[in-house]
Amino acid sequence: MNVEKGKICSSQLPFLIAGFVQGSALLIDFTVGITEHQTWMVILAGLIIATPVILSYVALIKRFPGMNVIQINNMVYGRFLGKAVSIYYIFFFLMTLSFNIRDVGELHVTFLMPDTPFIFFLAVFAATCAYAVTKGIEVLSRISYLFVLVGLVVPISTFILLIDQMDFSNFLPVFELPPVKLLQGVHIMLIIPFGETLVFLTIMGSLNKTGNAVKNTLVGLLIGTASLLVVAVRNTAVLGKTQSIWTATSFQSIRLIDIGTVLTRMDFLIGIAQMVLIFFKCCLFFYALTVALSQLLGLKSYLPLVLPLAGIEVIIAATVFQSPVDHAGITQNAGIIYSAPLIVIIPPLTLLVAKIRGLRKNEGGKGA
Amino acid sequence: MIFLILIYALIAVLSVPGLIKRKEWREFAAFSVLYIIGFVLGLMYVLDIPIPSPMKGLQHFITEILGIKYPEY
Repeated sequence: MNVEKGKICSSQLPFLIAGFVQGSALLIDFTVGITEHQTWMVILAGLIIATPVILSYVALIKRFPGMNVIQINNMVYGRFLGKAVSIYYIFFFLMTLSFNIRDVGELHVTFLMPDTPFIFFLAVFAATCAYAVTKGIEVLSRISYLFVLVGLVVPISTFILLIDQMDFSNFLPVFELPPVKLLQGVHIMLIIPFGETLVFLTIMGSLNKTGNAVKNTLVGLLIGTASLLVVAVRNTAVLGKTQSIWTATSFQSIRLIDIGTVLTRMDFLIGIAQMVLIFFKCCLFFYALTVALSQLLGLKSYLPLVLPLAGIEVIIAATVFQSPVDHAGITQNAGIIYSAPLIVIIPPLTLLVAKIRGLRKNEGGKGA
Repeated sequence: MIFLILIYALIAVLSVPGLIKRKEWREFAAFSVLYIIGFVLGLMYVLDIPIPSPMKGLQHFITEILGIKYPEY
């Protein structure tokens, strides 16, 4: 029995995916310090490598329509191994959600309201996400286009306002990155903006039709990537080599907007946009976490778990890292290494095992 | 401390009566376990008792024991 009764329209899927990928716009800063002016190339390389992996998620959902990843694991791997794999998924959702909640806290404490207690931002943000999650995936899907609109309008408008300060020679020389830096940069991109779409293994089970899921997923990915590219190109063109010394490159480049001394101090725009987009991403992660845990525990509904999980997330977010430097250091190493098997290997392996064992579920029908 | 108790009292007031009324005992049990974990973690945070970070342990396991890590630049 699925814990989610709501259905999402297949035409909303591109917006859900695009908004989710755009929510990682702040997190490309993790790779800027490593890949510097070649960040745009790393984003494209990450997309190219991630696309077949993400399409394997879609193939899995098309093979088991109406089922979420926990149900699929139980069916494919059996009761015990399936539960072990599901716990790995839940741990990933739990930790990644806490990192993203922490990102919002760090954003506010560092740039917007430094005198306010850190835990206050985390608690308020988690409570808002919890409220949104209690409304269900249908509501989040219906408003997803608004988040995508914010994720497109803000980067494009700030790009236009900064055109006079851009120096496109900042992108030269091309292909000078050492292979190990390139590998790490692509690894970060593969896991953080693109690989985290793993949450859709718990969401796409609610799709009313899976017929156009491949096309809709690709459209969503391309819209999301376009936003990330606009942000990366803008920051490199404006800041050049100095972008690797700033902790938040987007803030730094937006602060340089000065149109006739009237349009200045536009960094609040980036603050609002990034918070809105991370909010959407956190809601999807939170939803995936509660649904996955409820399904694992065999509950009828995920709603009773939302508030206690929000409380746990706040404390994990507050204590998981000691500082933004610690956050970046662990994410660039252990963070992307521990999640790589879950994102890159397990879903395609699940699909392969399902094919070998001849397991599938027909739409509206029972598993075979 | 007072805020923590108030927040957790509010969570209990919002969730528990409905679960008991609908006799959802399995849901109530799952809720209670997570509620207690959350409250204990909150209490440790408020009282400044160090909370071990799962990522620190993972970082140690991956980089020190397994030896998988990217070089520092």
